[in-house]
Amino acid sequence: MNSIRKHKGFMFLLYTLVFLLLVEWLAPIATLTATGYRSVFLIFIAGSLLMAFFRVPWWISGTAKAVYVLWALLFIFSENPLLSRESFGFLGTNIELSLAALFSQQWTEVTDLFRTGLFFALLWMAVYLLHYWISFRLSIFVFYLFTVVFVAVLDTFSPYSGDAAIIRIMVIGLMLAGLLHLARWLENHRIPIQQEAVVGWLLPLFLMVGTSAAAALLLPKADAIWPDPVPYFTSYAEGGSMAPGKPPVGKIGYDQDDSQLGGSFIGDDTVVFRAEAGSGQYWKIESKDIYTSKGWELSDIAAEPLLYGDQEEIVFDIEPGNEEEETAFIAMGDERFPFVLYPYGTKSFSMEEPAEYRYNPADQRIGTYRAGSTFEPYMYEISYSEPSYSLKALRATSLEDLSMDALPEGYDRYLQLPETLPQRVRDLAIGITADEESLYEKAQAIERYFASGEFTYSQTNVPVPGEGQDYVDQFLFETKIGYCDNFSTSMVVMLRSIGIPARWVKGFAEGEEIGSVDDRELFEVTNNNAHSWVEAYMPGVGWVMFEPTIGFSGSANIDFDLDLDTEEDSEEAAADRPDKPDQNEPADRDEEEGGIGFGERFSRFLEQFQGMLLLGTAVFAAGMAMLYLLRRKWLPRVLIPYYRLRRGDESFERAYLHLLRQLGRYGIERKEGETLSSYAKYIDHFFGTRDMTKLTAAYEQAVYGGIPNSEEWRNLRESWENLISRTSG
Amino acid sequence: MNAKEQLDKVLDNIEKVMIGKREVAELSLAALLAGGHVLLEDVPGVGKTMMVRALAKSVSAKFKRIQFTPDLLPSDVLGVSIYNPRDMEFHFRPGPIMGNIVLADEINRTSPKTQSALLEGMEESSVTVDGETMAIPKPFFVMATQNPIEYEGTYPLPEAQLDRFLIKLKMGYPTREEEMEVLKRSGQSVSIESLASVISLEELLEIQELVKRVKVEETIRSYIVDLALHTREDPYVYLGVSPRGSIALMKAAQAYALLTGRDFVKPDDVQYLAKFVFRHRVILRPEARYDGITADEIIERILTKTRIPVKRLAGR
Repeated sequence: MNSIRKHKGFMFLLYTLVFLLLVEWLAPIATLTATGYRSVFLIFIAGSLLMAFFRVPWWISGTAKAVYVLWALLFIFSENPLLSRESFGFLGTNIELSLAALFSQQWTEVTDLFRTGLFFALLWMAVYLLHYWISFRLSIFVFYLFTVVFVAVLDTFSPYSGDAAIIRIMVIGLMLAGLLHLARWLENHRIPIQQEAVVGWLLPLFLMVGTSAAAALLLPKADAIWPDPVPYFTSYAEGGSMAPGKPPVGKIGYDQDDSQLGGSFIGDDTVVFRAEAGSGQYWKIESKDIYTSKGWELSDIAAEPLLYGDQEEIVFDIEPGNEEEETAFIAMGDERFPFVLYPYGTKSFSMEEPAEYRYNPADQRIGTYRAGSTFEPYMYEISYSEPSYSLKALRATSLEDLSMDALPEGYDRYLQLPETLPQRVRDLAIGITADEESLYEKAQAIERYFASGEFTYSQTNVPVPGEGQDYVDQFLFETKIGYCDNFSTSMVVMLRSIGIPARWVKGFAEGEEIGSVDDRELFEVTNNNAHSWVEAYMPGVGWVMFEPTIGFSGSANIDFDLDLDTEEDSEEAAADRPDKPDQNEPADRDEEEGGIGFGERFSRFLEQFQGMLLLGTAVFAAGMAMLYLLRRKWLPRVLIPYYRLRRGDESFERAYLHLLRQLGRYGIERKEGETLSSYAKYIDHFFGTRDMTKLTAAYEQAVYGGIPNSEEWRNLRESWENLISRTSG
Repeated sequence: MNAKEQLDKVLDNIEKVMIGKREVAELSLAALLAGGHVLLEDVPGVGKTMMVRALAKSVSAKFKRIQFTPDLLPSDVLGVSIYNPRDMEFHFRPGPIMGNIVLADEINRTSPKTQSALLEGMEESSVTVDGETMAIPKPFFVMATQNPIEYEGTYPLPEAQLDRFLIKLKMGYPTREEEMEVLKRSGQSVSIESLASVISLEELLEIQELVKRVKVEETIRSYIVDLALHTREDPYVYLGVSPRGSIALMKAAQAYALLTGRDFVKPDDVQYLAKFVFRHRVILRPEARYDGITADEIIERILTKTRIPVKRLAGR
């Protein structure tokens, strides 16, 4: 028979696609395990597939592969030539060491060479398996599915980015699946193939895959309905305070990367730290200065970090106040950072074991070092004195004070704006601030603008700006819904657009007061309290913080040294005093004191993820329904092995009835008044077999004749299997 | 030699003189085996007599023939007691009904009185003359023929009488080829007289016993009952099949199963025979005739819509 398997070109195409699919497996492995020499493995895969394709006898291909593996191992791990005494010695030692390590279960002691050898063995098996699937089973779906799952999982849970890979895999996989389906179809219907026809069959497939892939790439895509699940999983898995872990990668919580702002996130009430302080403080980490129209980055200025020791007074660009000195105490949770969090007016830090504090003037971050390398402090004490600003001085600020020569050196970076910033943002800023005289009042006007009622605070339904779209512009004019990043970034950009130097500050809001220790209040700060706000530079006064985010009430300490000229002003200023937060972030509200029991966690989980659970149940139900609807496809695969194990007459009758139902599902149902024999004749005519007549005769004999003949089932089973497997195609 | 082989021989024997009427022969034989009688409706000259005679000959049965005419009296059928002056007693002279295989030709030509004399004998397997009841020898098989009822000068059989026939057949004209063959053979062919008998009457009686033991599975019985019920529910039907009809179908199916070499009845047997057993037992409403619907068509329709039960195994 002129089988499709004999068609060299067709099969070569299949093997090429399989190779490409394997390359997709190797890529993330190589990236994640920092395995170099990727080409060595690729050559191995390519060579193995080629030999499989040309049906090289196993002893030749096996030897060739073994020699190649040996060579590759030596090439990677030693300088020795292949056939030399040294190389054999080298290999021998390695294997000896590794085996010893394996037997003593010292997994980490296994040498790299041995591991690489094992990896080769794995690839060898993979290639063999694929060869088997392609050449004998003509089916690749399982492997294809695993590839997609593998890449998707790695993309979600590891730094590997499978954005492009998943597209390649889809294209390769669809082609493979299409080709193999064609091959199976041709085989099942015993259609002889002609050379020209092959091209005719393949062309529509390639066109289909090509056009659908191109359309999928070009068409606009909706954002993910669900936010990145990883932060939630990590926080949930870690529970209250057990396993030590790294800071979670996610939208909420502190994250160094702000280059792409926007997008929704889910709450995460993992405790980051507890703070004892006289009153609620904003805990600053760092600031950023370059607005990219999508997010924030730090300018690349060569600022020399300043070193300070324990209790040594740090010189910030914000001077501490003159009030009496206070101390705050911070105890971190499971997340640790290689830097300290500090309130406004910080003077110095101290911890049990002396450490070194490196203050970076570029972003005001204070890294912690011990013995020359970074470490993540657990508990530390901060002495600070809240800065206080003279309202008089603030009201005296004017744009003239900001002429270039008056600006401190390097502060022009706080006026940076992207060229693509839409003009309407500037116009809006000018419009809001036109009536105000001093810079401080202008800044306040912008701060107030967000509270005008037009804007909504929300952690969900916040879009990521599209290509060519400005993050601030989108928020100010289109969505008007967002969280702290939207508000603070917008304010910084507006300030800059009217010429006031401003920077974007990150840290944590004061958190929730959960009690008091001595005469200090105890605050619990969770990932939900991760926050960003604004610092603006007021000439002659210094950096002053602003809080544009609605629902947050942090603000600078203003000294009302004015002669009260209007009532309005004082009232307004009074309202600005740092107070208890009017309103915490939504996820914070149901926070409770102390540890949380499992039941509580569970019910909260239910509450929080009701939608997801419902959706999950629906998906599960849909999955089961799909399984049920598609039972024609898979049921024979279950029934065949099942009935192979069965003996006796009754099992034949059952098997026969299963076959009847399966034939019905296949679409050739027995008609109402049709006898089994005439139905059997039709079935046999349909499939070109004699099996159904044979089976039916035996069935009638057994059922109507009451002559059970259990021995016959063994002879009939082949016919039965033949028929039932035809129905699953 | 088993029953199937014996019966095949009988059929082969009949085929020697009857060309292309194997189906009718089979069905007639089945009726004989089931202990029933056959009503053969057809025009004269298609070989009805020939077939019955061949059948009788093959099974070594005593063949009798009654030609029904309007002036035939019951005594002409049953027999008559004649006074013998020598011993001064009445002697019964058995009529033609006292045979094994009786051909009642053109039964609808005679008066209802004579018809019922025959039909009573068929039903009771005995005749009563002058208060004396005499059993008719076994086997007893009547093959009655009638002209299609539209013919002039006929007395159509009443429904109750029709019920007495197990099956109703139509002989039908032979095909062109068959008729050519008939002409060819008519000159030199094996004459009916020279036809040898194949099985003895005793053997026939044994086979009749076997028929009663042919297995009818429960689902088959329910199928038969379903079919009968459906005839009673059909809107075109004035009078459906009686329970006697259901019994007839089962008996016929048993005989037919044995004829085809099985000792159990299949739904196929029931389906095949339903037409022959039921067609004279359903009385159609006048609307059916207006609509040109025949009993055969109604039965056909019932057969296609009655689900053949497939045995459920749950209880086992």
